[in-house]
Amino acid sequence: MAYKPQYYPGNTSVAKNRRKHMSDDVEKLRDISDEDLTALLGHRAPGSDYPSTHPPLSEMGEPECSVREVVEPTPGAAAGDRVRYSQFADSMYNAPSVPYWRSYHAAINFRGVDPGTLSGRQVNEMRERDMEEYTKRQMETEMTCPGLAGLRGCTVHGHSLRLQEDGTMFDMLDRRRLEGGVIVSDKDQVGVPIDRKVNLGKPMSEAEAAKRTTFYRVDNVSFRSDKEVVEHVQKVWELRTKYGFQPKA
Amino acid sequence: MVKTASVTDKPIQIKVFPQRLLQPATAEKLLNEIDQVKGVIRMLIGGKNLPRKVTCGPGTGTDVNHPNMEIIHVGDCAFELHVMVGEVIVEIENESAKEDLRKACERALPFSFEFKQGHFIKKKATLTDYGKYGFKSKTDDSINLEDERILGLIDPHAKAETNLCVIGTEEKS
Repeated sequence: MAYKPQYYPGNTSVAKNRRKHMSDDVEKLRDISDEDLTALLGHRAPGSDYPSTHPPLSEMGEPECSVREVVEPTPGAAAGDRVRYSQFADSMYNAPSVPYWRSYHAAINFRGVDPGTLSGRQVNEMRERDMEEYTKRQMETEMTCPGLAGLRGCTVHGHSLRLQEDGTMFDMLDRRRLEGGVIVSDKDQVGVPIDRKVNLGKPMSEAEAAKRTTFYRVDNVSFRSDKEVVEHVQKVWELRTKYGFQPKA
Repeated sequence: MVKTASVTDKPIQIKVFPQRLLQPATAEKLLNEIDQVKGVIRMLIGGKNLPRKVTCGPGTGTDVNHPNMEIIHVGDCAFELHVMVGEVIVEIENESAKEDLRKACERALPFSFEFKQGHFIKKKATLTDYGKYGFKSKTDDSINLEDERILGLIDPHAKAETNLCVIGTEEKS
């Protein structure tokens, strides 16, 4: 029988969503074109070539190395792309993805990732074209609600704040806003205006966000209500503590 | 209306903390409703900063042009919002104005809010205030301020002109 990874314990909707995010079994909800995504990221002009930091690996004449022979380079590494980043902020008011789960999603399903996880935001560095593929995957699927999460390269303030009256997460730099029932963005992730208005799609309703979220909250699905998860977390904590006290380590 | 916070009967302070961050129109409505309540001495608006320019990252120096940075009118005063209003602290003359204040908030806010009583703004001058304003004279060691209500409303280094509004003093005093 083929091995099936068991990503996360629990029977609540939050636990199930966490498993979905980790296994990349996520539903695609919207389309964002490559050009729009490039404009939002702001690392290069839409339609331009990828700047490179070294020649393609095939032209470099790599040294003989068994590991290099076994590991196939990612498209970005093979082409010599620069390392670039994307960063998401997620509202604690039932945003679909917890920063940790963005990192799990990146680390399990993509190669050449360097995720940095903080309480309210998650940054990921990758080769440029790999990073675009990864960012597109997270933005187009149920991992992101344009109203409750956002691509924010800097000034990420918003995760732990109350929502605005229109139900969207506060954005100090006004990168995106609700217009005619959809979220539009006319600035890149660091707040520099871009030459287009990118339609990021409809924000999730409160009920839908509560259904798709990976946040445990006492006013939705509480962490303590999932006995299997509590047991798992306690076990991990216990093992880590015991490991830390190994006298011979 | 009395001109000093210290001589009023027993002023109490209330923090109005809405469930959502307020858009300028709702904030304007709320502040005007509060302004209409009899017995309000002063109020302090707090919220999330709306910067004029991007202050960090590769876009530093770029104009933000936040649409919520609007000019609102409260009483006979107009001022530009520098924050997305998240809370309003109101000082009222005594307990009797409390229920009117709650009703004013209920009329203005389309969602629930917290209504807490406590000590949020200072009621008497501190060393910093004496450092800024000084004594009235060599023989009078009270603070050199005509209207003590401004104590605690602005930072010691901030300019009063851009941060403070005095509403309807003529007709009320």
